[in-house]
Amino acid sequence: MSEDNPQVTVTSERLQRVIQALSFASVDEFDQCVAILQESDEQDEFRELETAFSIFVQELSEAKQQTERALVRVESANRELEAKLETIEMQQAAIRELSTPIIEVWTGVLCLPVVGVVDSQRSAEMTETLLEMIVAKQARTAIVDITGIDVMDTKTADHFIKMARAVRLLGAECVISGINPGIAQTLTHIGVDLAGVRTMRNLRDALQFHLRETEQLAAHVKRDHF
Amino acid sequence: MGFEQRETTVVRAPFRERTFPVTRRSDAVLIAPQARHLATLFGFGTRRSAEIAIVVSELATNIAKHGIRGEIILQLDEDLPPRGELTVIARDIGPPIRDLALAMTDGCDDRGPIDPSLLLSRGGLGTGLGAILRLSDRFEYRDLDEGKEIRARFFR
Repeated sequence: MSEDNPQVTVTSERLQRVIQALSFASVDEFDQCVAILQESDEQDEFRELETAFSIFVQELSEAKQQTERALVRVESANRELEAKLETIEMQQAAIRELSTPIIEVWTGVLCLPVVGVVDSQRSAEMTETLLEMIVAKQARTAIVDITGIDVMDTKTADHFIKMARAVRLLGAECVISGINPGIAQTLTHIGVDLAGVRTMRNLRDALQFHLRETEQLAAHVKRDHF
Repeated sequence: MGFEQRETTVVRAPFRERTFPVTRRSDAVLIAPQARHLATLFGFGTRRSAEIAIVVSELATNIAKHGIRGEIILQLDEDLPPRGELTVIARDIGPPIRDLALAMTDGCDDRGPIDPSLLLSRGGLGTGLGAILRLSDRFEYRDLDEGKEIRARFFR
């Protein structure tokens, strides 16, 4: 055995201890692992190895804790994000619904107040919803109030008149109220047939018109009965 | 060119370019009123601003309907003669319009006339591009490497 290649003798018991320490480290029991590694009070090169090993395990343990903390942060951020996405979805559903708000203002009277920007798709959606509601609620009158609309494309305006006709086909009366001068010009310019489309100055007039009609109808029914 | 004070009667708008991402139908509902507001700030009248809002709404609705995703860009050029102009740019990643002339015809999409019985389920009248054409001063279309771009320009 040469001087520049000394050998270290280790008892089997010390080796077993290191193996035991390793097995603790493998199941994340870092404290136990370090405790075992530091038990020995020998002062040889193998002791140095044990010390180096225990430092390494301590560092590993710290790194692992940091990763876990980061993971918790990411998870909570994820949950927050999911909650926000859910809010956005809900708000979008609300926006869609609010863009075609149909209210039953009186028995058998539906009111569709149109506000904001009306494009071709929105007017198609309005038609669909209004016609379905008339059937579902067995409405006799539908008031489409467009007071809130300054401008409409000619084709969209044309479609509004067609919507009024479709309402009549369902056996209900369609009243368009609140037409402003700009839209009135648009409608006459495109030359649509306005016969059979009842228009009223405002929502109030439209409602009064409906009430008068209902009263007349009630009077008729009474007369026929007696 | 900045926004330095100048001897001028024209109100200088506080924005050059504004981008709105579009992925859903409801985005159109949110963007259109903002476009109207910005148009008013730029000096367009109430009626014209409402028309610009309709065009923005049609474009955004189209992106949500046909494109995979896209954006609406409002671009101001104060100094373009005669009195400056507002350009609405709609860019999206999605299939190109096959037949532009046909698609711009009212009641048609890019394949031909829309069956009236499908109007409601299709979600639109097929008059959107026509409306953009009618309401804007200039209409430009071009295919991009990946998607398409429509520009609607409004002269102040």
